[in-house]
Amino acid sequence: MRRRHVLAGTLAGTVALAARSATAQGSDLRFGALYPFSGPLALLGDESFRGFELAVEERNAAGGIGNARIRIIRGDAVDQNQAIGEARRLMSVERVQAIFGTYASPLSFAATQVTELAGTPYFELGAISDPITERGFRYLFRTCPVAKFFGEGTVDAVTGIAQKLGQDPKSLRIAVLREDGIYGTTVSAAQKARIQQLGYQMVEDLSYSVRAVDLSSVVQRLRGANVDVVLHTGYQNDILLFYRGMKEAGWKPKAVIGSGAGYSLTDTMKAVGSDFQNTLNVDFTQFAVNERVAPGVKQFVEAYARKYGHPPRSGHSLANFMGARVFFDALARAGSMDKDRVRAAVLATDVPEYTTPTGWGAKFDEKGQNTRARPFLLQWQGEQQVTVFPPEAAVAELRIGLGAT
Amino acid sequence: MEVLPQLIVNGLLLGGAFALISIGLTLVFGIVRVVNFAHGELFMAGLFGAWLLSSKVGLTPYLAAVPLVVILFAAGAAMQRFIIQPLMDADPHIQIFATVGVGTALINLALILFGADIRTSELPWAREPVRFAGLSVARGFLVAFAVSMVATAALVLFLKRTHLGRAIRAVAQNRNAAPLMGIDVPRIYIITFGIGSACVGLAAAVLSPLFPAFPTVGTYFALTAFVIVVLGGMGSLEGAVAGALIIGLVDSLAGYYVAPDLKEVVYFLIFLLILVLKPAGLFGVRGSE
Repeated sequence: MRRRHVLAGTLAGTVALAARSATAQGSDLRFGALYPFSGPLALLGDESFRGFELAVEERNAAGGIGNARIRIIRGDAVDQNQAIGEARRLMSVERVQAIFGTYASPLSFAATQVTELAGTPYFELGAISDPITERGFRYLFRTCPVAKFFGEGTVDAVTGIAQKLGQDPKSLRIAVLREDGIYGTTVSAAQKARIQQLGYQMVEDLSYSVRAVDLSSVVQRLRGANVDVVLHTGYQNDILLFYRGMKEAGWKPKAVIGSGAGYSLTDTMKAVGSDFQNTLNVDFTQFAVNERVAPGVKQFVEAYARKYGHPPRSGHSLANFMGARVFFDALARAGSMDKDRVRAAVLATDVPEYTTPTGWGAKFDEKGQNTRARPFLLQWQGEQQVTVFPPEAAVAELRIGLGAT
Repeated sequence: MEVLPQLIVNGLLLGGAFALISIGLTLVFGIVRVVNFAHGELFMAGLFGAWLLSSKVGLTPYLAAVPLVVILFAAGAAMQRFIIQPLMDADPHIQIFATVGVGTALINLALILFGADIRTSELPWAREPVRFAGLSVARGFLVAFAVSMVATAALVLFLKRTHLGRAIRAVAQNRNAAPLMGIDVPRIYIITFGIGSACVGLAAAVLSPLFPAFPTVGTYFALTAFVIVVLGGMGSLEGAVAGALIIGLVDSLAGYYVAPDLKEVVYFLIFLLILVLKPAGLFGVRGSE
């Protein structure tokens, strides 16, 4: 297709584009869905997309946005370069009126740079890196919580653990352990700030390369420092190495608290085995959550299973579903796809907390960041992650003691 | 509990695992004189093979070594026969490009077949620690260390004592004189490449209970294996083992006494230092590099 355009010259290309945008003038709204559909990030990229797709289907069944049906045009963002290329293609060739995405922060960073310049609204539903909405962009809006809240949530969990242990939280010896990429760095910076703010004691601050093949020396360091609680920000492979190292050394802390990603995957739990029991994790809302604070979560799981034939693979789909719904409502209120009217409508959004399937509310600041989204504290109990904090969202008591009892 | 002895034991055992991966690479390096950048990806393929054989066929990962050694021997031999051999007279970088291409193809093939998830071969026994003299080590690492030492010794004996082994060494010493002695050099290359790959097959089976399989796992090990091979002297099996033990120790000690994210810096410094003092590597012969 692309080659033919080049061969036939610009004239044919222009005609084709004109014809296409003419059909788009009908009653359809054209929205780009930019996610990693292939490559190493594909599993959760696709899981995120499914949430968006379900929100679109629900909206179309109810008449669309202002009587216009939504059409999804997919863009496959495998890496940063492709995210930029696909964002450009969606805007120029496909003439989309807005883009939704992206799951992975680096991809969101890259793609939003070109959409902002073109003035196309970009709705971020799942990438958590704080600086994405700190670049002064006017047409970028994000519903999901940022990494800072993840970091703070893990430290606040220490307070809960201390309570259960009947100890002063300041007496617990905390270690911050992280992979040395952007994910680990951002989350751990928030953790350290919170630890200092609360006057807790951090006895170790260790980072390692994701390409590490052995973390036994890390475990020895933690053991040597007599660590009670490990706040670990890592990916699936290093989580496995960390738990293997602890088993090998015959040592474990009182608690390990993860920050999403690898800690949320059922495969990680299965691969580590019973030692993973009672591991804590701060992440997007999962499905074992009190329905009173997350109304509609059951219906979402049912709709998901009907369409895809199995239960959701992680909470990413739910987060994208919630975010897409919030933005569809805002677009309906805007009454047009004009970028400034869209911005005004998004900033006027006011959804109270605990009224959406993720439990998050929606109220955007000037930067376009939702200020009413917080991750919950989860714990692996049995085969699933249950919500244990805050109390109104919890479905189970926080348990003490890492590993099977 | 004493930390230092534990760190040394951990380091040596990790070195044993590295050695198992590196001996195959050094063999191909030293004899076929090809830098095989797909070596890590062959290891990755082996880990997936071990996972398939243990989870789908029900073989324990250690028993999977038998079919894996055979399969990887065939894969390596085929790679030499159909990809490297036609390029044998071409510029060395063309061969490098070819092996990089094979590696990239294998990673993407794994992504298509298995996705980006991690897969672990189930053998909880190997992850259970054994305790002695105040030390604690995973059983799987002890097994890997033993297999690694035995495999290296067997390979050294094979090269020194058998007719085929002598022929292989003759080719390494002088690839122009060897055919005059009646040695079929292309055949020796195919066999050597096969043996080199079979070593990774063995490594993958033995290490599969300890390291999960995922498409890019090979790249995690490949760089370390290259360092080890150059450190020990290209083509020297004893050198590869010594290099692996040194790198294992440095990994463990630097991770504790310096910082986990700086351990690569430390071992590259040691690597540079040894190369400055002994350019052919610890056990290398000058001129063979």
